[in-house]
Amino acid sequence: MRSRGRLLLLQAAAPIVAVFAGGVIASAIILAIHENPLSVFGLMATFNMQAGSVASILTSATPLIFAGVATAIGFQVNVFNIGIEGQYYIGAFAASLAAFGLRGFPAPIHLVLIITAAMLGGLLWVWLPAFLRRRRGAHEVITTIMMNYIAFNVVLYLLGLVRDRNLGSTVRIRTPLFPPSAQMPHLAPLLNALGAPIPGYSPLNWFLVIALALAIVVWFWLRRSRFGYEARATALNPLAAEAAGIVVGRVQFVMFLVSGAVAGCVGLSDLLGRAGYFDIDFPKGLGFLGISVALLARNDPLGVIPAALLFGYLNRGAEGIQAFTNVPREVITILEALIIMAIVVAYEIMTRYVRVLRKQEVA
Amino acid sequence: MFDVGGRGDLSFNDMAYAGLERAVKTYGARLTTKYLEPTSGGQGREELLRLLAEGKYDLIIGVGFLFTDAMTKVAKDFPAARFAIVDGCPDAPTANVACLLFKEQEGSFLVGALAGMYTKTNKVGFVGGMKIPLIERFEAGYTAGAKYANRKVAVYADYAGTTGEAFKDPVKGKELALAQYDRSADVIYHASGATGVGVFEAAVTRNRKAIGVDADQSLTVPANERLHILTSMTKRVDVAVFGTIQALIQSSWKPGPQVFGLKEGGVGYAVNQYNKTLLTPYVPKLEALKKDIIGGKIKVPSTKLELQTFLQSLGK
Repeated sequence: MRSRGRLLLLQAAAPIVAVFAGGVIASAIILAIHENPLSVFGLMATFNMQAGSVASILTSATPLIFAGVATAIGFQVNVFNIGIEGQYYIGAFAASLAAFGLRGFPAPIHLVLIITAAMLGGLLWVWLPAFLRRRRGAHEVITTIMMNYIAFNVVLYLLGLVRDRNLGSTVRIRTPLFPPSAQMPHLAPLLNALGAPIPGYSPLNWFLVIALALAIVVWFWLRRSRFGYEARATALNPLAAEAAGIVVGRVQFVMFLVSGAVAGCVGLSDLLGRAGYFDIDFPKGLGFLGISVALLARNDPLGVIPAALLFGYLNRGAEGIQAFTNVPREVITILEALIIMAIVVAYEIMTRYVRVLRKQEVA
Repeated sequence: MFDVGGRGDLSFNDMAYAGLERAVKTYGARLTTKYLEPTSGGQGREELLRLLAEGKYDLIIGVGFLFTDAMTKVAKDFPAARFAIVDGCPDAPTANVACLLFKEQEGSFLVGALAGMYTKTNKVGFVGGMKIPLIERFEAGYTAGAKYANRKVAVYADYAGTTGEAFKDPVKGKELALAQYDRSADVIYHASGATGVGVFEAAVTRNRKAIGVDADQSLTVPANERLHILTSMTKRVDVAVFGTIQALIQSSWKPGPQVFGLKEGGVGYAVNQYNKTLLTPYVPKLEALKKDIIGGKIKVPSTKLELQTFLQSLGK
């Protein structure tokens, strides 16, 4: 009983120790470039408390929740879908077509159609790797990475075909602007009415709520449904699951497809909540960040939420450090990566330690 | 604030930084400067602009047309701050946004004239990046210059593609250039960003000449390519950046489009220690053409349509 309490305490302490370790390594680097780490972190902390920063953190966490959940769904059953990146690019482009192509729908219907298009786009891009894995045993890491390259180039090519040619003197390569019915309402007015001082310019929008809801729904689905049980059994021990009558390949195939469909939605917050068009400057790399988010969350859909928030926090902090100190951008990027790495390593060490303790207890 | 890619790109962003450095050297005591670099995607771009504006910087410069939309939005929220975009302009005139634009066609005209005079085969080439009006401006000026200097010259023009990728496709650039060289072109001008790396490689392979773009590319390419670069059409982002800072300090800053052509020293052709002797016989003629353009005697076409009219007027 006493050792069980100690275990729980250790598990709770793991992330805190991890963040602390990351901070120590980061401090060493900041010291090396002759800045005071305490004042840099202090600035980051106070800066990130401002209303504008909170809005920014939530805004950048939104796509990361989608990406983290999409990754976690695959990783849960040992399907390493590294193709979130390509799937969300195709999804976002499919969504753009539905956004400027369809006219005359009321906003709620139009938005549902666009989200459907995004999911279909993601599905389209995940289907081939999923099929190849199920039928031919092709390793999904390779096929999905290749599909990423294809996605970027296909999207750029198609963008060239549908791009808006009636732009003024400035060359901007982008789709026609979306009609108002294709824009996701922002959260600032509602939050302001509730007393939260979110600045009016913030692109924070309802996709945050959708992302949170999605994480919870997926968590429930995996915990409380029959399929979810099969998935968890597959994750724990594929051979045992197979022996118990679960068709592991089918479970993995379904989870792979669901992962792709969710991935299709990663870019929607940026697309419909902020930009209002798809252009060559559309954010890249959210899919790869999603992998880090999922790892940090240990593939738990609910854990994805705080992990995504941490990434949003670091990202905003980096902006503040860049704007108000003389720490160059490169150092900040290194810091972000180091903190993340330290967290993963510290987590791993703690987990192993816990495992050793458990074994001792059994023995 | 720099475009993605940031400092160290040996061209666009580094030249903007050079302009900033020059301003610091000239007005050091009166200036506080800061440069930031966004992560890709619009959110960071807009947020950093906002931070700078909140930080009470008097002038915020966005390097690259990708800043256009974010800057238009932020400029509206901070009417007291002043903004400048390199290569871009808001759709509606904004009282606190200056647009630093370049007459690339004028510089291209000069390097075109040089190509026209230099060619032994009377065939010269052009390799563009993405087929968009901006790059067609380079082609129009170049063709006009080549034909003006040499009526018998034929100009081949090819583009690497219709997407943004066309600016970073050296393989395609090399293939296009090889094809043009094999059709006996002996000078090729590229306006294609990193795709031009392939054009230079092709110039080495076939032992012909190429013309660089934006920065003085003779200074940055590998040593074996240097002697194959006839010159570069320089687009002096540093001049524009310095100019707009100077205007602010001298209280003569204006919003709206500001065009940097030959007259303003915004574009030109590069002379350096590698091509100096090669260029010497042509320089007097080029300087004369430059004067004619500045004086308005030659109106350099900036579109395909204007190019046709220009060529017809040459025929007479």
